[in-house]
Amino acid sequence: MASQLEPILNQLRNSSLPYPTAQSLLSKSKIYLLQNHALTPTSQTPSSLLPLALEILELGALQSIRAAPTHGDVAIPAFIRYVQQVTPFYDAGVVSNGTENRSKITGLYLLLLLTQGRYAEFHSELEAIGTGQAEKDKFLGYPIRLERWLMEGSYDQVWKAIRHGEVPSEEFGVFSEILTSQIRNEIATSSEKAYPSLPISSTKSLLFLESEGDVINFAHSRGWIVKDGQIYFPELGEGEEPEQDVSLVVIENTLGYARQLETIV
Amino acid sequence: MPGKTPDKEPVENGGYRGGKDIEMKDKDEASSLKHKGKKGDDEKMTVVVPPSKKQSSQPPPNDVDGDVAMDEADQADDGELKVDPVVQTINDIKGNFALLDRAVALFDARFSLRALRSISSIRKRLTPDILAQVIAETYQSGSSRAHIASQLLAAVGKGDVQLRGQSAEMEVDGEPKAPAKNGASKKESKEVLPEADIFLAILVQVYLYDSKKFREGAEFSRFLCDHIHSLNRRTLDSLSAKVYFYYSLFFEQLSPLPHTSQSPLVSIRPTLLAALRTAVLRKDIDIQSSVIVILLRNYLATSHISQADLLVSHTQFPENAANNQVARFLYYLGRIRAIQLRYTEAHEHLTGATRKAPSSACALGFSQTATKLLLVVELLMGDIPERAVFRQPTMEQALLPYFQLVGAVRVGDLDAFENIIAEHGDVFRRDDTYSLILRLRQNVIKTGIRMMSLSYSRISLRDICIRLHLGSEESAEYIVAKAIRDGVIEATLDREHGFMRSKEIGDVYATREPGEAFHERIQACLALHDESVKAMRFPMNQHRLELKNAQEAREREREMVKEIQEGDLDDDDLGGDFEGM
Repeated sequence: MASQLEPILNQLRNSSLPYPTAQSLLSKSKIYLLQNHALTPTSQTPSSLLPLALEILELGALQSIRAAPTHGDVAIPAFIRYVQQVTPFYDAGVVSNGTENRSKITGLYLLLLLTQGRYAEFHSELEAIGTGQAEKDKFLGYPIRLERWLMEGSYDQVWKAIRHGEVPSEEFGVFSEILTSQIRNEIATSSEKAYPSLPISSTKSLLFLESEGDVINFAHSRGWIVKDGQIYFPELGEGEEPEQDVSLVVIENTLGYARQLETIV
Repeated sequence: MPGKTPDKEPVENGGYRGGKDIEMKDKDEASSLKHKGKKGDDEKMTVVVPPSKKQSSQPPPNDVDGDVAMDEADQADDGELKVDPVVQTINDIKGNFALLDRAVALFDARFSLRALRSISSIRKRLTPDILAQVIAETYQSGSSRAHIASQLLAAVGKGDVQLRGQSAEMEVDGEPKAPAKNGASKKESKEVLPEADIFLAILVQVYLYDSKKFREGAEFSRFLCDHIHSLNRRTLDSLSAKVYFYYSLFFEQLSPLPHTSQSPLVSIRPTLLAALRTAVLRKDIDIQSSVIVILLRNYLATSHISQADLLVSHTQFPENAANNQVARFLYYLGRIRAIQLRYTEAHEHLTGATRKAPSSACALGFSQTATKLLLVVELLMGDIPERAVFRQPTMEQALLPYFQLVGAVRVGDLDAFENIIAEHGDVFRRDDTYSLILRLRQNVIKTGIRMMSLSYSRISLRDICIRLHLGSEESAEYIVAKAIRDGVIEATLDREHGFMRSKEIGDVYATREPGEAFHERIQACLALHDESVKAMRFPMNQHRLELKNAQEAREREREMVKEIQEGDLDDDDLGGDFEGM
């Protein structure tokens, strides 16, 4: 029974497999698993098939992450789907051959949630792992540290982690690009509020940009004013509008009290 | 001397609570598992009877051993007129059958609730012998319920005890030993109510739980749940809710313990969900509320946060559920929201939970746990909890690590914060607040920055970096910029010279804030008023009586008017009459 899956597995283990090939192999094996009631672990699933099924799904997840830079719009949803399929296997206590895969996939998933700004899910997921051992784990520790830095605002630490090869494995590198632009936007938003003006030369290092030309391009994209080697931020139009309905609110409240008092007395 | 025998209900309760209280404090000091402590509290929440004054006059019967000792003492001076505690217990149990009878006859759940409340007093005195005797005397061997009786007996480990019918002749011969037996057997010649079955079954569950026979208890509860599911009686609702409660409690104790997804807890989810579905269809509030709470607890125990969230969003917690269930539900909901970073909601729910928690000492553990979580959530929101919270004598000890934590966050001292986490890490982990507390780091930093912005009109980034023990000056710059954006401080940064300049702080009283705070408080008071009105019980048909009175008064008035017109009455009499009304 397992003999049909072995050759496919061997092919999938090759990390440089082109994505379309991997996709067709994966769908073939998933159909096979489905026919044998092994796509989700149930009581009818033959127990010998469980580790194989898990490994196929894990490899599927990793293959789709690797394909993310080229096939982003297909591969990322596919990755999320694989993660969701893999979870019941972990809950059922199935262990696959690649022992590192579990924390790797969970770590990647955490990083994905982080880049998409889904912090609530990130923390729910984290709670399920248990923070104790997770921080020491090579794959899980990375997204956890990044989240902490992002939250407190140590963007330079994030930048260092991304640049200086702290990435635990090549798959994690996929998200570096997204993370970089994410922190750049964060910094830009903070800077608008924090600085009255910025010299172009130092903005380069502030925003982790390559050249002054990039700075000017970036400034224009955000609608900043560049003048005499300085960047000025346009005043944000925070009008007096909320102030106007103060009296309305007060009237409404007082009427509310009056009505309530009427019912009490 | 007569005071020595256990009196009826309230005294027992007092003693019982006293014992439990001490035990709980022990649990807090000795580092036992938090889950254990909390479970105990969950049960205890059902007991809300004011302590009796008689309590001091007699030693509280603490446990089964105490009972046995008293038993011997009784036999020693047999001459005195006294009720044997065993017989007393049996009578107590049987007294509850009468309550259940009335509950069924009058269709009033209050009587079943009263029966359930008495469990806590009976609990201490339960022995397999007592249970077996009650069961044997309740059921007739030939009746349709005999199989239930045998199940009950087997669960207590007294499978060989014979049911009543078989030894009927002997009973006639030997004339009952206890006077109550006579009355009981007469009354129970009719068929035993299913309510009584379940009540006895709950007693068996309680006994098994107290004697730590978790595996047997789990087996028995499984059978019981199947049985309950087949019954459809509204008068059973509150009893069944209790059965499910113990059902899940047993499975929590089975190894492997929670925090692993292979825990046996996972296996009872289908049963509970089925029970919930049925309860919703039958509009059965008791089971709905308690099963939702049990399920939430179940999901949280295995850290399935998203499932718990889904459950909350797909079910509607019954509005008029029992207060204790609401408190628990709010606590679990607050937990979920806190994990999801929805602090404002979490704060609202947890405040509700701590307020709704019974104020008596019997649910101390629950209030402690809820308060701990509430404190952490308040800190995460950037608020500093009031000092008075830590001064309550019942909380002081348990909240000590949190008190230190609040101190560190308030001052913005990152070093002290790290030290506290290192020192009390185990406590926080046991309380399941560890991961939330780790998130506090950014708050500590923000507070630190805020303190500095308040104290200095201009400070260099290097100094900020040194004071807050940050990694580098660049980090400090980004962090300060973020703090400015988040509205933590009013300041600007100067990149060329590397310092932060604070802006003048405006007068708070010139803003809308005081008004808003005032409004919030008024709202809270009004809501409290509304809720207390809703919570009052009004006697049935009372308004009709008043209407009748009013009508009578009106008639009298009419008569009087007539009499005045006829000139029969003086003005004096008239005045007197009106005053009488």
